[in-house]
Amino acid sequence: MEQNKIDELVAKYNEGLTDPSEVQQLERLIEEGMVELTQLRSLDRLEEQLLAVESPATSLAMDDKFYAMLIKEKKKETTSDFFSMPSWSWLAPRLAFSVALIVAGFAGGYFSTANQTSNVEQLTAQVAALKETMMLALLEKESATDRLKAVSLTSGMDQVSQKVTAALFQTLNNDPNVNVRLAALEALTPYSKDGKVRAELVRAIGRQESPFVQVALAELMGMLQEKKSVMEFDKILKDERTPVEVKNKIKESINVMI
Amino acid sequence: MEALSDNALMIAVRDGDTGRLGLLFERYKRPLYGFFYGMNRNQELSEDLVQNTFFRILKYRHLFRGEGDFRTWMFHIARNVSHDHFRKDKLKWKESLESWQNKLGHEENREGEMQLTETNAMLSMAMDRLPQDKKEVLLLSKYQEKKYKEIGEIIGCSEGAVKVKVFRALQELKVIYQQLEKTM
Repeated sequence: MEQNKIDELVAKYNEGLTDPSEVQQLERLIEEGMVELTQLRSLDRLEEQLLAVESPATSLAMDDKFYAMLIKEKKKETTSDFFSMPSWSWLAPRLAFSVALIVAGFAGGYFSTANQTSNVEQLTAQVAALKETMMLALLEKESATDRLKAVSLTSGMDQVSQKVTAALFQTLNNDPNVNVRLAALEALTPYSKDGKVRAELVRAIGRQESPFVQVALAELMGMLQEKKSVMEFDKILKDERTPVEVKNKIKESINVMI
Repeated sequence: MEALSDNALMIAVRDGDTGRLGLLFERYKRPLYGFFYGMNRNQELSEDLVQNTFFRILKYRHLFRGEGDFRTWMFHIARNVSHDHFRKDKLKWKESLESWQNKLGHEENREGEMQLTETNAMLSMAMDRLPQDKKEVLLLSKYQEKKYKEIGEIIGCSEGAVKVKVFRALQELKVIYQQLEKTM
């Protein structure tokens, strides 16, 4: 069918004037990709309205059930039943308590039985992996409180994987909540000895618009004596939108560095 | 953050790191729940069906090849979960669909409905009146972000055929909606 005939048919449909045989013709054209659904105005509008309809929120019980199932599955994978994982209702967001139980569990085992070293190392690694998974899962949540909990999970981790630092930087640079970003910065601070983390912190300076985060970064860079940050802070000083208090704080930190 | 893509996570789950499924759960629990809720309008049942879907994802994780889209694979499973449930509870489901007007009188549903705008409430009612297969294709279109090729993979037909199904479903929805507007 010629394009102008197709256009006429679509226009006719949009005016509500097509007969059943013309609608059948239209269907064939849709199937062949000659007409897109977005061209059919009333249907397109209806579809947009449908997209806007939201379903009710899910319950915490659903989360509990899922994580209980996951833990049960993980238990099947580990051959040792030396420790039993608490149910998910303890784990999220009270992971610290659960980890303490696990640590107490295998610490008790260490003293009570011989040759537990490899078990302890294995369990430590499993706990760290679980913490990491929890953290990454919580960072996806809509609630800022949950994301704050996610960031706090890194505390006490001697070493963190690249995934965790990448997730923390993603949070620092993109989270819509200032408190979460500040928490991410605080969580990254212990790892700033690492050259790559430090370099990424410097890069993060240029991505911050919140004065709170800018000041926190200035304080951190001053503490670290990170001279490479001076150029980034200079840009903030030159920006007319930067509040005077922030400029003063940044100047203080720069003075400490140079 | 390549390692956190859906497919990468599911491959990790398949290969033994089952904890990663938690991340996929957090990403997809709302869209899956929305799909089921759109099909049956029952909050508790929809949550159970989400659980069943993830249970199957875990049980059949070894079947995930990683070549296609994880979301498509997941909705394929979700659709089967939905069909299996309704096959078992055919009578119960029919009753609940026919008594949707009575359900609106129940406190919890009324509360939920009052939160919607009037338009959305009528649209939801209109959706409830659609035949199951038409409702399903519209919900898949919504939660698969109109990726018709992927929807074709889920329901087993061509991309073009999916577009025609969506067209027919929207047409019928429009008619029902206009009828409801006249009666309300």
